[in-house]
Amino acid sequence: MEQLPLPTSLAEVEQLIRALYQPNPPETISKIQELLHRLQRSPEGWQLAQSLIAHPEDNVRFYAALTLIVKLNRDSSGLNEDDAKGLLENIINWVIQSVADGTATFVVKKLCSALVTYFMQFSHLWPSCVRHFAYCLDLGRGTPIEGLDDALSADILASKLDRPKLRVAIWFATLLVEEVGKTDMNAPRYIQVHGRLTKNGSDVTCLVARGFSPPQDNPGLKIQGEALSCFQAWILYAQRASPIPELVVPLRQLVAPAMSCFTDEDLYQPTAELFSDVLSNYSSFFTQEQYAALSAMFESPWAAERYQQLIHGNHHEDGISFGLLLLAYGDAKVQELMTNTDERSQRFLGSLSGLLAADGYLMGDDLIFVPALEFWSTFIETMIDNAFTEGIETNSWRPYAEQHLKTVITNCWRKIQWPPAEIFAEWDSTERVAFGDARKDVFDMLQSVFTLEGLGLISFFADLFLQSLGTQSWAELEASAFCLGALSDCISDDAKYDHELSKVFDSPFFQLLGQAQGPIPLRLRQTGLALIERYCEYFERHAQYLPDALNLLFAAVGDSVLGGPSARSISTLCSSCRSILTGEAGAFIRHYQSIRSAQVLDSLAEERIVLSIASIIQAIKDESHRLDMFGDLYTILKSDFELAIQLKAQPGLLNLSRPDFLRGLDPPNPQSVPPVEDISLQMTLRSMRCLASMAKGMQDVKEHPVDLDSEPQTYHTSSRLASLQEDIMRVLVEVQRTYSTSGEVVEIICNILRAGFSETEPGPFVFPPNVVTSYFVQQRFETPRVGTLLSTACSFVGSLYRGPKAYVPSQLAELFPWVVSLLQALPEPEADTEISQNGIIFVDKVMSKYPEILFHPQYSPLLEFFFLFSLKVLDGKEPLPKGASAEFWANFISLKPSSLSPPNGPALGQTLTSAMSHLGPLLARSLVHNIGGNAARSELDKLCEPLKKLVAQHPGAQAWLEQAVGDNKGMMMMPFPGRERVSREERLLWLRRVISLRGARQTNQVVREFWLACRGSNFTYVS
Amino acid sequence: MSLCQNRLQEERKQWRKDHPFGFYARPQKNAQGVLDLKVWECGIPGKEKTIWEGGLFKLTVTFPDEYPTKPPKCKFVPPLFHPNVYPSGTVCLSILNEEEAWKPAITIKQILLGVQDLLNDPNPESPAQAEAYNMYKKDRAQYERRVKQIVRENAAP
Repeated sequence: MEQLPLPTSLAEVEQLIRALYQPNPPETISKIQELLHRLQRSPEGWQLAQSLIAHPEDNVRFYAALTLIVKLNRDSSGLNEDDAKGLLENIINWVIQSVADGTATFVVKKLCSALVTYFMQFSHLWPSCVRHFAYCLDLGRGTPIEGLDDALSADILASKLDRPKLRVAIWFATLLVEEVGKTDMNAPRYIQVHGRLTKNGSDVTCLVARGFSPPQDNPGLKIQGEALSCFQAWILYAQRASPIPELVVPLRQLVAPAMSCFTDEDLYQPTAELFSDVLSNYSSFFTQEQYAALSAMFESPWAAERYQQLIHGNHHEDGISFGLLLLAYGDAKVQELMTNTDERSQRFLGSLSGLLAADGYLMGDDLIFVPALEFWSTFIETMIDNAFTEGIETNSWRPYAEQHLKTVITNCWRKIQWPPAEIFAEWDSTERVAFGDARKDVFDMLQSVFTLEGLGLISFFADLFLQSLGTQSWAELEASAFCLGALSDCISDDAKYDHELSKVFDSPFFQLLGQAQGPIPLRLRQTGLALIERYCEYFERHAQYLPDALNLLFAAVGDSVLGGPSARSISTLCSSCRSILTGEAGAFIRHYQSIRSAQVLDSLAEERIVLSIASIIQAIKDESHRLDMFGDLYTILKSDFELAIQLKAQPGLLNLSRPDFLRGLDPPNPQSVPPVEDISLQMTLRSMRCLASMAKGMQDVKEHPVDLDSEPQTYHTSSRLASLQEDIMRVLVEVQRTYSTSGEVVEIICNILRAGFSETEPGPFVFPPNVVTSYFVQQRFETPRVGTLLSTACSFVGSLYRGPKAYVPSQLAELFPWVVSLLQALPEPEADTEISQNGIIFVDKVMSKYPEILFHPQYSPLLEFFFLFSLKVLDGKEPLPKGASAEFWANFISLKPSSLSPPNGPALGQTLTSAMSHLGPLLARSLVHNIGGNAARSELDKLCEPLKKLVAQHPGAQAWLEQAVGDNKGMMMMPFPGRERVSREERLLWLRRVISLRGARQTNQVVREFWLACRGSNFTYVS
Repeated sequence: MSLCQNRLQEERKQWRKDHPFGFYARPQKNAQGVLDLKVWECGIPGKEKTIWEGGLFKLTVTFPDEYPTKPPKCKFVPPLFHPNVYPSGTVCLSILNEEEAWKPAITIKQILLGVQDLLNDPNPESPAQAEAYNMYKKDRAQYERRVKQIVRENAAP
């Protein structure tokens, strides 16, 4: 922006200031601003301010005051003590003049700010600023600081000031504490300023006290509002400054006059805010007497009227500040209120529980419920704390507290009832969410109450449930069911509550729930079904209710709203009650089939149902029956695959009036029909996910005792099971072949395989190891998601290690070349991090238990490739494979011939020694390359592991590392990134330290320091 | 009460007074029903207008004794498919790292909002799991399909 020349006359400056406050294009405004800033900062600034301050226009005067502030902040150091004192007199004179000639408030306040700025620069010259300022105001002119008579107390001065002057003094006192409060009280520059500010505290108290008193001289000018703001600003400061008695003691004298503002309609709001604020944030400010006075005030007729307004009034228009004040008081005194059984405390708590029963619906009308609930949650937690520290039974106050809790619970139960549908429909989304959140808060609160009340609370809601059922009060019934549901987490696995729960589950409610066109509204159906799910342990103990419950849930599966939650409930119930339900497997399969043939279920709901049925099948004891049932369910899914594959081959088959084709639409109602290929793929994916759910459902959930010492039994698979497994594997392979580009298909197959890996008993998805291996080795680099296949192969190795040993070597020997072939196919070691990471993990896993397989002469070219590959990865930038490689090398270095199996031990030992003599220098170089700056900070710890092992276990380490840091008679192999930053001496010193630590833990710190030195200081974190 | 407990009480109070839309965060209860302030159960909703919208993901936040000098540990339960979430579920985020951007002034609200931001804005510089990281880098379309599937499985109620 080009610079305008500075104005040459005062008139020009005035013109510019006027233009600044007139409507002008932004670029003009910013040009003027820039010009005026320059002017303010110039040496003529002082002069300018002085010339303009008496100007008749407010804007010009404001600008003059602003200029003063700018000058004081920038150029105070240029003023000698006499100049500074003179300046103060002048500013005070201007303030007094402005008050006298009725200048606008914003100008007067700006001048007060200039005084505050002056204090911050020259507090040593003006320590008693408040009293001196009041003195000058009284005199009607600025006077030298020395002229202030020490005997003249602030009290007397305050009483002499008329209202307009007193108001200016209070403005100044407010701005003073606000501005000084913004600075750091521990910074050397400001320590003294804060000290002097504090000394003014008692003078301020005199002014504010006077401000609170009713005006006699000028009844029209009330300044209690200003007094309140000033009081609040000083309390805030006193709180921040941590207890300073000389500040807090005088300030406390203002509490009583401030309280008298409550009953003034105009002052009520700021007064309530002030007291709520101090009660919540600085409750120790008030003395016991002041608390007593507040408590007495809450009993006054005025308070009673306010309370009634709050309970029956309009919260949006009238606010809830009175309620918040009561709650803040309650919060500050919660411990005493709880333990005091006197009538006043009891009445007060009664009024707080009453806040939960204000008129109107939650959130839409009633805004006090949520804050009140928060208080009661605190109250309950305080009770619990007390119960666990002192033992609740002995407390005489407990019956009183419990009585309040009962009211609280009843009020909450009323408040969380859903409004009639037509009212709910009028709520906006925020109100709906807030309503749901408030219900969640009640849910939490009830769980806490249960800690205190236990069985009593269950009975309370069970009775309410039956009562509301009797009167068909659906909203009440829903709330009761909701509250019972909240308690399920606390009691579900404990049979001693079953008597109460049976009252509920044996009630006619669940028959009503089953009627499709019955009287039960949707929301209550939802809560009712959720209640079944929440108490699934109860149903496990009371199997007689289970079939009815499941029938109810199955009936709701097709419903667009209830379907999802019902399917979830079914899977929870079936999974935990599987052994009771084995007789129902056939019926459930038929049920599933009939729903499927009539409509398209939500895909996630369908997966859950399949999982449920599979978990029941898993629990069937008799193998032949189990496989029958399994076959029935599996056949349904298998025919899906067949149809999908058929459709792919013959697109003409598509018939979108049939549910089995509609299954292929995702989303369910697309705007246009997708290509047949997509439909076919979606049909497959959907059923593949169901098959994966089936595999998950077939997992055994019982915990079998595991004998860690004994050898696991060899797999025994019946011929029927074997042919079933063959069939499943054939289908998987066929599906993958048909949809050969789909990564999702591969991913789901991996999930199916993984489900079998964790099993110890034979099952349809527990494939024999050689079947799994031969599946893997058929996969090529081009197969989608081959990285995921590799990670599955790693899990497979883990499961092999848990199984019988006899199978392991042959599988590993087959898999190892396959894994290396995938790594070889990578164009770059970092081209696919998932492949390189899992490939390295795989080899590491093999090496940890069966090194003789890796080191078999037959595989030496593969192994050689792998070593170099993993070193390249270590040199690279990809954190995940790099971490795996560091771990591999740490393990490799630790490999000891003695730990190897005897027949191969000696020969292997030789192989290792010779391998290490080649690889050691390369590894050392790679580690130094990383530690010397290539690695990220977060990788250092991982990289330290191989370094520590190398130093501790290999005599050659020192020479290799010396070479790597570039000090072997100048024969450096590859400079590491930060080499220029560290001198030869530093490098050698570092190496000596590393070597002398011999692999101890402190190596990490030494490595870190070296890395930091190589990276340069930019990488140190500021602590 | 220790500094850690005091601070957690205060955090709880602040959270109750003001928390972002759709989130929840509450201390766990121990076997006796007493709150354990050092372990919080939290829920992080996917951000609106992102592929994570509609999901609600459970996160356990564990505070060490040295909190707030040291940061808490955040863990998705069950582990989440995301480039910056370790296979164990632990979240890798600079503000949760003592050696990086952690500051004692960071509140629970800021942490949870930070984790929410991370969902749709992964940091490829610090991958924590190969599967999601790799897919995010190599096949964004499939990554997004997978995320949408996860959102369906973890739908907000």
